[in-house]
Amino acid sequence: MDGPALWYLNRSTGVVLLVLLTLSVVLGILAIGGRPARRVPRFAAQSLHRNIALLSVLALAVHVVTAVLDTFVDIRWWNALVPAGAAYEPLWLGLGTLSLDLILVIVATSLLRTRLRHRTWRIVHVGSYLAWVAALVHTLGIGTDLKEPTGWAVIPTACCVLAVAAATAYRLIRLTIDREPAGSHA
Amino acid sequence: MSTLRVDWPVCQARGLCHELLPEIIELDEWGYPLVNGEVTDELLADARAAVRACPRLALRLVG
Amino acid sequence: MTTRTPSPVPMRDDVHVHPGPALLSGLAGGPSLTAHRSQYGALPRLDLPALMDLARAAGLRGRGGAGFPFAIKLSTVAEGKRRPVVVVNLSEGEPASSKDSALAQARPHLILDGAVVAAVALGARDVYVVLPGDRPLAAQRMTKAMAERKDPVRLHRSIADSRFVAGQARAVIELLSGRPNLPATTWVPDAVSGLDGRPTLLSNAETWAHVGYLALRGEAAYRSNGTPDEPGTTLMTITAPGMVPQVREVAYGTRLRDVLPSSLHGAPALVGGFHGSWATWPTLASAKVSVGGFRSLGLALGAGIIHLPGRDACPLEFTSRVVDYLADQSAKRCGPCLNGLPALADAVRGLLVGSGRQARIEVLAGMVERRGACAHPDGTVRLVRSLFTMLPEEVAAHATGGCMHRPLRVAS
Repeated sequence: MDGPALWYLNRSTGVVLLVLLTLSVVLGILAIGGRPARRVPRFAAQSLHRNIALLSVLALAVHVVTAVLDTFVDIRWWNALVPAGAAYEPLWLGLGTLSLDLILVIVATSLLRTRLRHRTWRIVHVGSYLAWVAALVHTLGIGTDLKEPTGWAVIPTACCVLAVAAATAYRLIRLTIDREPAGSHA
Repeated sequence: MSTLRVDWPVCQARGLCHELLPEIIELDEWGYPLVNGEVTDELLADARAAVRACPRLALRLVG
Repeated sequence: MTTRTPSPVPMRDDVHVHPGPALLSGLAGGPSLTAHRSQYGALPRLDLPALMDLARAAGLRGRGGAGFPFAIKLSTVAEGKRRPVVVVNLSEGEPASSKDSALAQARPHLILDGAVVAAVALGARDVYVVLPGDRPLAAQRMTKAMAERKDPVRLHRSIADSRFVAGQARAVIELLSGRPNLPATTWVPDAVSGLDGRPTLLSNAETWAHVGYLALRGEAAYRSNGTPDEPGTTLMTITAPGMVPQVREVAYGTRLRDVLPSSLHGAPALVGGFHGSWATWPTLASAKVSVGGFRSLGLALGAGIIHLPGRDACPLEFTSRVVDYLADQSAKRCGPCLNGLPALADAVRGLLVGSGRQARIEVLAGMVERRGACAHPDGTVRLVRSLFTMLPEEVAAHATGGCMHRPLRVAS
């Protein structure tokens, strides 16, 4: 395949993917602790989290397929699943692959949630933080659009980092404040 | 006809079951589910959704 | 551990065990295995049909409080496809009860014989004995007894937590499974699928002692006490402030007043422990020790626990302390109980000072009953309700700022 179309598609789905993953993670962080929702019913927030996650899997698929099909850089099919030994940018690519592997396991366990023990599902699901960080570092390392001349992806990427940082900070503060002995645990 | 049973040590009063099945599930003053009545055929799909939606998997459909 | 609310009836290891006609006969010989065998002989090997016949003929019911027919539990366990396990529940988490500790100290081998004979009949290979966490003497004696034996099954030993709900059947199985010793939801009865998914025959220590006695002495001896409708005997614990707990073996049909120390006659008593119900002296005086007899009086014989606080004690004040204790002793996992019991404790305190409302208590009762992994909140509600049904004049006295027993202390 020739021409930059695949490459542009790969880069753009990369940024979209980071944004979607960020949204999913932020919704997940805000859902922990389950205080009564003010405007959005909880089942809607849960549904949103789930749908955005599934959408991001779609974007991930396009991102990976375009990377492999594009002949400009040497990325093979197996690089998408094995996080080491790639010919092109092995470290940054490997982190992306790590993120993908984690996402696959997380999504699989979530689809099979009712058949698994809650503890198992929970432990795997915590891996989503790691998946997001790996995706972020992959972006920072390999992301063409963060560099000159336009560096247009800097702002969206920075927003993603801020969003997750803010959500995490909010959750940690809430956890400390809400540490009360009696009353409904939530 | 089926019944909904709550796994009480696990339930953490998130309230999604009430949101999805208000016809049978109300919440008490502390946010925990009050199951009133059996699950009829019309409500079966919603009951199943409520079971799936519980973040702690604390709701079960029996019978 | 943070300071816990003390129990209104202290948990005690010392107990005055009175000699009795069956389980508690020949106590002078001591609790050793040699003495036990010389009194009762060797443990016969019974097959399952023989054991079931014995249990059915004796009408043996569980002595843990629920009174479930033992023969039915036995047959449910026997129907299972997997190899069953036997559990002896000697955790005695109820402070006002001492009968299981008494048996552990005086007749440990009767309990163990009962469990072993059932295990052999069922083809089980393991017997788990769960000992009390806060009655070290009883635990020690039972451990010693277990070490003396050589049985065709393996005996295992565990120690329950020091918590009221630790003795609940499912909580015991959770402990044996390596999880916290707390009640958990059962989707299937333990007799069908309990420990490790195996059919589990869990019974109270005294129940096992009766099984042992039946196996060693036979049906005729068992039926020589009690009445034709209710053959046999049951152990009762009688406690009062400042008195060493007394454990007596009582034949069914005996007048209750003959079992209670005469110095404590004339005042209301708490029947059935902290999950039981108050009874007035006239009711107690007319009662016969009988499951059906108690039920007809609105009481439950349960595990045979009678606490006599005395003429000068205020039942409302005592109840308030019990509910405080029970609220503190819950597993604190099930939302309705975790929230409801402290609210109930507040409401009962309100009754003391005359600001409480029965309506509010009924609302709370409705919110905690059957909404938990165990019957802890239900039992607490039963106790509080009995104030209204059995001692309404006491409640009325407090409603007008007085008390039938002493001048009311100013709020604290």
